[in-house]
Amino acid sequence: MDGFVLTLWIIRILFLLLIYAFLFAVVRVLLRDLRAASRGPAELGRLVVLASPLGEPEPGASYPLDAVTSLGRDVNNGIVLDDPFASSEHAVLTFRGRNWYIEDLDSTNGTYVNGVPVEGLGPLGFGDELQVGEIRFRLDRGRG
Amino acid sequence: MSGHPVTIQDRKPRRRRSRDIKANVFRTGIAVACAFTILAVGAGWWQVVEAQRLGVAPDNPAVIAIARRALRGPIEDRNGQWLARSDRDANGEATREYRDDAVSHVVGYSSRRYGTAGLERAYNAELLGLQGVDPLGDLTRKFNAGPDQRLGLRLALDLRLQRAAVRGLGKDKGAVVMLDPATGEILAMASTPVYDASAIADPDTATATFERLQADDDRPLLPRSTLGRYVPGSVFKIVTGIAGLNTGAIDPGTTFEEQPPAEKKGLVVEGFRVRDGHHEVTGDTALDMNAATEVSCNIWYALAGLETGGGRLVDEAAKLGFGASIPFDLPTAISRVTSGDGRAPGGFTDDAELASASFGQGETFVTPLQMALVASTVANDGVLMKPHLVTAFTGEGPGARTINPEAWRRVMSEGDARALQAAMQQAVEGKLGRQFTPGAAVDGVPTAGKSGTAELGGKGEPHSWFIGFAPVENPQVAIAVLVERGGRGGERAAPLAGTLMERYFELYGKP
Amino acid sequence: MSALAQARPLAGFRLHPRPRQTELLLLAIVAATLLVGGMSLGATQQLRAVTRSGGELAAIDFLPPDTQGLLVYLVALFAVHIAFVLAGRRTDQVLLPAVAMLGGLGLLLMQRLPQDLVTQSFAGTEYGLGQLQLGWLLIALTVIAVLAIGVRSDAWLRTYKYTWAAVGIALLLLVFVFGSDVNGARLSLSIGPLSGQPSELLKVILVVFLAGYLSENRALLAEENTRIGPLKLPPLPYLAPMVAMWAIALGIVVVQRDLGAALLFFAVFLALLYVATGRPSYVIGGLILFVAGAFVLYNLFGHVQARVDIWLDPWADPQDAGFQVVQALYAFGRGGILGVGLGAGLPTIGGRLPVPAVHTDYPLAAIGEELGLIGLLAVLGLYLVVVSRGLRIAAAAHDDFRSLLAAGLALVVGVQAFIIAGGNLKLIPLTGITLPFISYGGSSLLANALVVGLLLVLSDHGAEPPAAPRDRRRRFRRSRLGKARA
Repeated sequence: MDGFVLTLWIIRILFLLLIYAFLFAVVRVLLRDLRAASRGPAELGRLVVLASPLGEPEPGASYPLDAVTSLGRDVNNGIVLDDPFASSEHAVLTFRGRNWYIEDLDSTNGTYVNGVPVEGLGPLGFGDELQVGEIRFRLDRGRG
Repeated sequence: MSGHPVTIQDRKPRRRRSRDIKANVFRTGIAVACAFTILAVGAGWWQVVEAQRLGVAPDNPAVIAIARRALRGPIEDRNGQWLARSDRDANGEATREYRDDAVSHVVGYSSRRYGTAGLERAYNAELLGLQGVDPLGDLTRKFNAGPDQRLGLRLALDLRLQRAAVRGLGKDKGAVVMLDPATGEILAMASTPVYDASAIADPDTATATFERLQADDDRPLLPRSTLGRYVPGSVFKIVTGIAGLNTGAIDPGTTFEEQPPAEKKGLVVEGFRVRDGHHEVTGDTALDMNAATEVSCNIWYALAGLETGGGRLVDEAAKLGFGASIPFDLPTAISRVTSGDGRAPGGFTDDAELASASFGQGETFVTPLQMALVASTVANDGVLMKPHLVTAFTGEGPGARTINPEAWRRVMSEGDARALQAAMQQAVEGKLGRQFTPGAAVDGVPTAGKSGTAELGGKGEPHSWFIGFAPVENPQVAIAVLVERGGRGGERAAPLAGTLMERYFELYGKP
Repeated sequence: MSALAQARPLAGFRLHPRPRQTELLLLAIVAATLLVGGMSLGATQQLRAVTRSGGELAAIDFLPPDTQGLLVYLVALFAVHIAFVLAGRRTDQVLLPAVAMLGGLGLLLMQRLPQDLVTQSFAGTEYGLGQLQLGWLLIALTVIAVLAIGVRSDAWLRTYKYTWAAVGIALLLLVFVFGSDVNGARLSLSIGPLSGQPSELLKVILVVFLAGYLSENRALLAEENTRIGPLKLPPLPYLAPMVAMWAIALGIVVVQRDLGAALLFFAVFLALLYVATGRPSYVIGGLILFVAGAFVLYNLFGHVQARVDIWLDPWADPQDAGFQVVQALYAFGRGGILGVGLGAGLPTIGGRLPVPAVHTDYPLAAIGEELGLIGLLAVLGLYLVVVSRGLRIAAAAHDDFRSLLAAGLALVVGVQAFIIAGGNLKLIPLTGITLPFISYGGSSLLANALVVGLLLVLSDHGAEPPAAPRDRRRRFRRSRLGKARA
């Protein structure tokens, strides 16, 4: 027809193109995220087993830690300890801000950091020793 | 020691749990993506694949909007007589005019308010010149129905025959179908009562007219020739004959021993008594096919049907078009031999039903078009041609073309067809036959046919039927006539058929 | 007493500006798109008016029909963005733009439709469809902003799951008893001048409850304890409360004749169960239950039968029962690949929309007709973006509850979009639920805003870890297996 209709047609196409431009931009962001994620999330920390009288868990084995990890005999714990001296819900390891904290959950035999019993909530640093029941761990920095 | 059993799960670190959830989340995400892909395919289906078909559907509001503005193509009969034409009124809107009530059921109407019917509906897209929607829609070309793209319809119909048929039916409700057996072209297709299509097309009178027509108990809007279903009575015997001959259950010389004695008291089939009325004239003679057809012997045909068997009767009838919609320019109702609920072969309940179906009573329902096709098959030496109304799409649009006659299928052998032709000729021209089909024979033209009286039970007249063709050698016209409540076959249908066939030869010359 | 356990839902608002470049860029594209779309719409509408009255083509300008409204929307979007920047929380940067795009498209659609479809008067002025949708969008944006900035912890969600369940059921019962029938379905609850659809809110509550319950009992549910035939089922005492709650919700919903919500709840329930336990046998069992239930419903309820019959063959009754379905299909066909242009779809015919209730039930038909297959696929893509961001938040979450909650919220949006899109496209029977962010409806927009707000809360990368497991401690103390030796 004439210039006006042509302009309108161009605007219509431009509208559709812009929606797809948005989608492409989003896809780029998604891919970028995926690549970053596949490198693996930074590990917050690891618990390395130093000694366990029953042999389970094996000394030298290490557990990667979540931001909140519970320890105890019950199966629902983050780290399950099959030790008769460990309570069902023994302790909780938490990462907050930039520090680790250990909290004893009123266990029968208590939780120890470097030999010192923990009352309620206490800090735990990298390299510190943690004792739950008869098992001793060390808190290490995370890998990756 | 603890003493409780240690399962493997207890030993492994619990990190697995969070990883489990991650993996499950990922899998769920894949499932959602698949689901949305299905949606995308669905969208593509409707917007691209089906777009064409959707775009020309008559009740698509876009099509209706076009129809208001665009002129429709003309519809004319075989001799170029216009039957429907368009014009523009003062406001620039398209108007439609119809020439004669007699063709209203065939041509239909195109109304702004009430949509379309008949051929106007069936070929709406062609008449409007709709190309359908091009999926790559363009802003400037919304829906171009240019006048140079609309097509007109050339019909095989002859307006004069159509008028004669309607006049012949008169005040009775009924239908007439006349066709050329060699080509399948429909020469006349009348249904009474008729209605004024122009009144529906005219927006000023549309509502009043349509509502009155819809409220009319005589149902003038019903196209009886294609959508009316009736008990056929004795005209169905031809179908039984075709089935019996095809399957070898009978041949033209077959006689049944039990037939003559049963004429007096009737033939008992599983507790059901088949009766005849021709005992006086035939006496104790065993009838063969010709004689049985001539006097319309129920008992002979009942025995023939029983001999054929229900399953084969239904199968052979299916070759003629029974049991399915007939492919045709207009919608057709399905004719059936039996309701199909029974457990006997073919769907019959028992032999009694089979026996009564064999002479056209029982659960049998037919359309006049279907019976005309039966006559046409016999006339055409056993080859059934596809019936069609439209012989050409006229105009300059890209779809302009002629429609050639097409054979649908061979139903029976030529020899068997000729045998039936002889039988039907005897039914019209034989000494006894003439009494059953008075007036059907055309002067100077060998005519064949069969009358039928469809008993409906209870009070009231039976339907009057006749099917036939002429001349017997190289037939030019086949006909089916139905007059609702017209009495015996010979009372209304047969004489009307004769009159109409006579008119045909008047117009086209006797052979 | 653990200090962590004292987390409060709303901590103080601290100013900690952090740039959000991705979000800014995406919002810029959204703004450009909506402005261009508005221009297209405005010009097309004027063209139509001019063609009908035979006026001058040259007099048409390229302005959106409601420039003011569109600009208000865009300003609000950037205001929210600035608020996010100032608050400095490291929340997801794609969600807001994606939702903004969908909302904007919905707004354009509502501006394009006849404004008198829905009207309401406030303080003497009457507001039409477009303006009402804009109002609801602004409220929705506020909800998103408040949630994403203000909510610091999710303890109030995870600890009180049974309370939430009770609230949900109470809401449902309220509607059942006091609700008003609209088109044969009891969906709305009217309090004074306001009316809403509680089933929209209910879906969020359901997800919260399920996330809480499933995260607590994951291990037990994942264990195979009871066997029924070839199916492995979790220990019955743990599955029972969930199934009961779901069955109640479904039963009431079916009685209310809200089939869409029932389907949504059921699908989300199954999906979350799978995400939590990873057992495909649950999904299969659920599907069997669904088929059986659907069969029973079909035979028992006339309205279910009607919907399914119309879905299977709408042309059996194209003027009456199947009218909406048939007209929508025609609209899709008219759209083709590129569409006819925003605003150029078939106008009202005799005062009636070509597709009835297009602003609530059939928005995709309008999008399909005007933006074509290309536009329709783009809209579906936008929903996939929202769902995928939500699922990504779920995968990256710190613990099970957040994971499940995020997954559930993402699925709620995705499954709802799928159900209504499937209904519009005649892939499944039509149900009465709304298309998130695009359909007209305050309750729908608010509930979905809640979903997005919560997702943003859960996506905070610098978020505090969840509170210590007080409940767990209390519960398992009772079931301890025997005292440890000293």
